[in-house]
Amino acid sequence: MNFPNGPAGSSTDHDSRVPDDVDLGRVWTGVAAEVWRRHPGRLERTAARLLRSPGLARALLTAPSLLLPWLIATAVVFGVGALLSLGPGEPLVWLVAPAIASVGIAFAYGPGVDPAWELSASAAVSDRMVLLTRSVAVFAVNAALGLAASAASGAIASLTFGWLLPMTAICALALAVATAARSASVGAGAGVSAWVITVLASRTASGQLTASVTNADTYLPYLAVAACCAAIVIYATRPQRGLQ
Amino acid sequence: MNIELIHVSRSFGKNKAVDGVSLEAGPGVFGLLGPNGAGKTSLLRMLATVLPPSSGQLRLLDRDPRKPVPRREIRRRLGYLPQNLGYYPSFTVVEFVEYFALLKEMPSARVSKAVAVALERVDLGAKAKARLRTLSGGMLRRVGIAQAIVNDPELLLLDEPTAGLDPEQRVAFRTLMRDLGERSTVVVSTHLVEDVGAACTEVALMNAGQIVFRGTPEELTARGSDHGIGDAPLERGYSAVLSAARS
Repeated sequence: MNFPNGPAGSSTDHDSRVPDDVDLGRVWTGVAAEVWRRHPGRLERTAARLLRSPGLARALLTAPSLLLPWLIATAVVFGVGALLSLGPGEPLVWLVAPAIASVGIAFAYGPGVDPAWELSASAAVSDRMVLLTRSVAVFAVNAALGLAASAASGAIASLTFGWLLPMTAICALALAVATAARSASVGAGAGVSAWVITVLASRTASGQLTASVTNADTYLPYLAVAACCAAIVIYATRPQRGLQ
Repeated sequence: MNIELIHVSRSFGKNKAVDGVSLEAGPGVFGLLGPNGAGKTSLLRMLATVLPPSSGQLRLLDRDPRKPVPRREIRRRLGYLPQNLGYYPSFTVVEFVEYFALLKEMPSARVSKAVAVALERVDLGAKAKARLRTLSGGMLRRVGIAQAIVNDPELLLLDEPTAGLDPEQRVAFRTLMRDLGERSTVVVSTHLVEDVGAACTEVALMNAGQIVFRGTPEELTARGSDHGIGDAPLERGYSAVLSAARS
């Protein structure tokens, strides 16, 4: 069953030198599959292993509509963070930074940005999961860069520990809950709720509203939360026996 | 039944695009006819799980698409060609079809073979490595059909699939639809009544968000035997049913 002149369509029109039991269409398709096979890059293979989803890794790394918002988000995170850390007074904006950044990334994706949004929206790999994963990737990369910069020079330490680490932890928590609950909305809700609880609990304990982003005692827990959530995501997305 | 709709409606503000549609469909090719603005595309988008209904019950492939886990299962078994196919111009044909095969969560080991089969079925083997920005409108339509059928879907939804295809390709596409309809439910929304007559086992005609006729193409043809307007018998049936619905 083919459009006119397709090679597979010629399977019934065998060359007289080809044995009757050889289906040329099937042979051609097998050859074509090998010739056309795309070989993912090292980064995509690593992401596919970590995320246990080749589709998510491909969407995360190669779709152009996803790459640009990622780069924009990275630039915004560093730019606004640097401006805020230079400004005077209490870093109140940092308290809402995780929510603002996540919402910004979420709105950077949609029908107006992704030309194939309609198709993506009907696919099994949820576009919201792609968003959450991308958020974690943005903040994790930035946090790692910030940690390295802090080690070299203390100038960026407040930005790294006060903003990037909490954002990484909260987004990792959202992704972990979304993965376990199989719902991106539940994950996002859990992330925002966890952050509100953290801010309020820190304020109650220290009497200072911005304690959750300025208290050095919270840095290690943020790192631990991010690491634990990464472990949960990897565990929850491990290959199921018999499904691969 | 692969499709079950009970009083499904969809509104956009005050405009009711789909108004209390009830429908059941099993394997076969199901044609969806109607004038512009009749609600065909909105209905198809609801079946594709892109658009949730405002009210009513919808079951696809014996699952409830409102729940995340069944919805994901439905989407793995779904093929969808939207009316306006958005694409990434820098992708090659193979990359585009493979991308959606992966998003449909096909096992990685099966993807390259499935992509090759899908491209051969739409006769795009010669353009497999061509960038999408270099293709004609008809070729892009065939790329869209290839991504829709790459996972061998149980439910295939095609919105104006023959737009831009030349007559020879349209004939071949009808044969492809009939072939797919032997195992799957294929829903084809189209303006072209000759596509329906040639390929569909059943047809529904929509007007103002409602289904005003459902039956076989022969039954639709019979409706126009006395007073329809059009060159072909099926066109006369189409216009006769629409005239009756509007009056």
